[in-house]
Amino acid sequence: MAIERILKDDASEEKGERARMASFVGAIAITDLVKTTLGPKGMDKILQSTGRGQEVTVTNDGATILKSLHIDNPAAKVLIDISKVQDDEVGDGTTSVVVLAGELLREAEKLVAAKIHPMTIISGYRIAAECARNALLQRVVDNKENAEKFKSDLMKIAKTTLSSKILSQDKEHFAQLAVDAVMRLKGSTNLEAIQIIKKPGGSLKDSFLDEGFILDKKIGLGQPKRIENAKILVANTAMDTDKVKIYGARVRVDSMSKVAEIEGAEKEKMREKVQKIIAHGINCFVNRQLIYNFPEELFADAGVLAIEHADFDGIERLALVTGGEIASTFDNPESVKLGHCKLIEEIMIGEDKLIHFSGVEMGQACTIVLRGASHHMLDEAERSLHDALCVLSQTVNDTRVVLGGGWPEMVMAKAVDELARQTPGKKSHAIEAFSRSLVAIPTIIADNAGLDSADLVAQLRAEHHKEGCNAGIDVISGSVGDMAELGISESFKVKQAVLLSATEAAEMILRVDEIITCAPRKREDRM
Amino acid sequence: MAAVTAAQPRSSKTESYVDNKRKEDIRQANINAARSVADAVRTSLGPKGMDKMISTASGEVIITNDGATILNKMEVLQPAAKMLVELSKSQDAAAGDGTTTVVVIAGALLKQCLSLLSHGIHPTVISDSLHKASTKAVDVLTAMAVPLELSDRESLIKSASTSLNSKVVSQYSTLLAPLAVDSVLSVVDPAKPDMVDLRDIKIVKRLGGTVDDTQLIKGLVFDKKASHAAGGPTRMENAKIAVIQFQISPPKTDIEQSIVVSDYTQMDRILKEERNYILGMIKKIKATGCNVLLIQKSILRDAVTDLSLHYLAKAKIMVIKDVERDDIEFITKTLNCLPIANIEHFRAEKLGHADLVEEVSIGDAKIVKVTGIKDMGRTTTVLVRGSNQLVIDEAERSLHDALCVVRCLVSKRFLIAGGGAPEIELSRQLGAWSKVLHGMEGYCVRSFAEALEVIPYTLAENAGLNPIAIVTELRNRHAQGEINAGINVRKGQITNILEENVVQPLLVSTSAITLATECVRMILKIDDIVNVR
Repeated sequence: MAIERILKDDASEEKGERARMASFVGAIAITDLVKTTLGPKGMDKILQSTGRGQEVTVTNDGATILKSLHIDNPAAKVLIDISKVQDDEVGDGTTSVVVLAGELLREAEKLVAAKIHPMTIISGYRIAAECARNALLQRVVDNKENAEKFKSDLMKIAKTTLSSKILSQDKEHFAQLAVDAVMRLKGSTNLEAIQIIKKPGGSLKDSFLDEGFILDKKIGLGQPKRIENAKILVANTAMDTDKVKIYGARVRVDSMSKVAEIEGAEKEKMREKVQKIIAHGINCFVNRQLIYNFPEELFADAGVLAIEHADFDGIERLALVTGGEIASTFDNPESVKLGHCKLIEEIMIGEDKLIHFSGVEMGQACTIVLRGASHHMLDEAERSLHDALCVLSQTVNDTRVVLGGGWPEMVMAKAVDELARQTPGKKSHAIEAFSRSLVAIPTIIADNAGLDSADLVAQLRAEHHKEGCNAGIDVISGSVGDMAELGISESFKVKQAVLLSATEAAEMILRVDEIITCAPRKREDRM
Repeated sequence: MAAVTAAQPRSSKTESYVDNKRKEDIRQANINAARSVADAVRTSLGPKGMDKMISTASGEVIITNDGATILNKMEVLQPAAKMLVELSKSQDAAAGDGTTTVVVIAGALLKQCLSLLSHGIHPTVISDSLHKASTKAVDVLTAMAVPLELSDRESLIKSASTSLNSKVVSQYSTLLAPLAVDSVLSVVDPAKPDMVDLRDIKIVKRLGGTVDDTQLIKGLVFDKKASHAAGGPTRMENAKIAVIQFQISPPKTDIEQSIVVSDYTQMDRILKEERNYILGMIKKIKATGCNVLLIQKSILRDAVTDLSLHYLAKAKIMVIKDVERDDIEFITKTLNCLPIANIEHFRAEKLGHADLVEEVSIGDAKIVKVTGIKDMGRTTTVLVRGSNQLVIDEAERSLHDALCVVRCLVSKRFLIAGGGAPEIELSRQLGAWSKVLHGMEGYCVRSFAEALEVIPYTLAENAGLNPIAIVTELRNRHAQGEINAGINVRKGQITNILEENVVQPLLVSTSAITLATECVRMILKIDDIVNVR
């Protein structure tokens, strides 16, 4: 017993075999959970919130599912982290990375059971990953020089990404939207300039790309609804009252007229502030905070369009795209950079009125307006489109492209298999296992589509034995097809990220031989 | 709070994994839950559909026939059932009518899907086929539709009364239908003929009278009485109306202030000053010729005090207080005036003009009417009356549906027959089309076609007719080429439904089919329910 007392009361410790077992079980459970969402015929999940409101989300996006899970298993947490990192880095392949890592662990479990040391497995995996990457590198296509071809590559990638999402029925339309939006960025990966607005009503096909910027706000009463050649001042300032922020400050007076004077003075102060703002020579004023009736009327009198209560995101974007700066003091008109745009007008989308800024300073900026039947749909559509935009913007920077539909996995598996045969020693088992894990991905894609995976993968393997083969799984017709002809492509960067981070995660989990759970911090009973 | 969170068991990985039932079970459970929701509203479909009484948690009672309202009040927990509720809401937003129809169609589709799934067809295959079938269905419907001109008031009224016929207020459809048409047409902006903003139509509800007394008012109605605590005027001809956003009460500063009174004489002086201050304001108002004041509600201080009301009454200015801030835009648009936020800006050019502002007593309550507005904006007001609160509420909902129907016709100018005719025709044409298709697709499309027969079936069932006899006869008639044959519920037989003036906008039917299909596809694709934070 004495040794047990090293740890605190509630803390626990798992060692060796048991610890490894726990990690394997956790990681594999997570993999099985998201596995069915993989590929064009993957299924969706309902995420039911146990919190207040019992909100329901329907999604197919691996990162979203994993992010919201309750997890109490350290190994499972590692997998969730890699999925998050994948989401931040390249935006797509969040499910693939978890599935590959899970499959690697599943294979590793068998090897451990066969009494192979985890370190041997790790070094085998490392060699195999390196080899797989090189194999893929040799087969990449790079159309950087040919703008025409590159654009069609982008279209293909967008379509492939979208085909596994809710937007698959209208993928042509959305692929075009996404490619247009990304081409406008001209190589920058700043997705902030692409704004996505969701408006329920209509159908997904009614979604459109709009150059310029749309703000979901109303124009103040009695102010012009249309301004050409607008000079915009973006501000974050209190337009209700300038309060004295010293606590307990109060004024003592001895008559009612004095109170009226103070009120008058307050009004006067506000008027001065408005005058200062108008003195910038602007005709549009956008504020993050409320604009009270009084200043609103002053602006209306001066013919200035004032927009109140724009959210943080909104004004930051607006400042970015119109080339202005967010101001909060107005004493030096010359030092404040104003934003410009050609036309501001009120437009109507569905039932709502929005404010449209067109001809903005930053030509890259654009807005995608999503329409759809319900909020569930719109949220999911936004996530899908975001994935596509991320992948495309990454591809613009790294123009290398590979084929899709399980093709890269088969190419890698073939190379890794060959390596296994040339490698002496126990490592070769690990390398072989790596190749089996890679093949698991096309297997799962086929399984999800309700196809006979064993048969298809065997066919695929046979096809790949030939040199320079482009075979992959054609889920639509349910057979092996030529991926180059079908136009299914993926970004090399995504594939590489999937491969490397999945290997790293598997390696990390394999290295664990002891899990120590710290004693939970006691909550004070505040009730 | 701490105790509650602590009491919840920490759900570990393994626990939540056991929670996730097998995929088939999940799908089955989802479909069953969604179908039971559809069954709940099924009986309220059609002109002889029944109403539901809902007693809410707060003890309030609602009687309604409107699918969206029923579903909204039902507190469903199952996620898939929730999606059906959402579906009905989307239909409400997209078309405004047909909220029951859409749920019934979705329920029937799900029933068919269940049998398709049991044949071992992959859900994504079903989902894709449904999508194809719905696109084709929309094409068929569009081909059936009759174009309509906005000048054709008769047809507009017909379609509005079709929508009203299935509601509690059906006996008033001759009154309400023209009313709905007129009010929508009066807010259509000639510059943007496709757009109707229903927010430009204000519905004011007042208890008393019967639904018969419902009227369209060219002007404004305030659901409150004029303030005449101090004997101010209640009727004003040639009114000059000001909408003010400041307060006529003693000054209040944003900085905390206090008046120090050291002896009794000062007390008198302060009172006098207060009086002078308010009098000064009122004089300024009077100087512009204003004689009606609409005062915005203020939470910071009293909008008007007894004292200021007294002076206003003396100056013969009519006062309506506590106007909500949200209404200000509607009011200023109608009166064609500008809101005034400060006494210093009180100028004659900001006023609105009307021939008459008067307080009218209706039943035991009073309302204020503004009529004969000069340069009136494109807005309109409908005053709904009824003998009890339940009827008024239902009348308002029904009127809203009728307004939506007219709006649909304005934005998409096509009419289609009602009475189950389009559904049967769709079912026939899709059934024929399914024979051309190959493989699973053809099988799924046929199921889709069969599912659509649920609408005439339910219509007949709710009307107490023999559903099987009716549906088979309908099929027969349509096979002979009578594409407008539908169920005439009043006569209890099958007639050419276009001649019976039962018509509805194309948009309602197409959006019901596309939305229901989209929702079913979403439910089909779900294979797991995960509990998350």
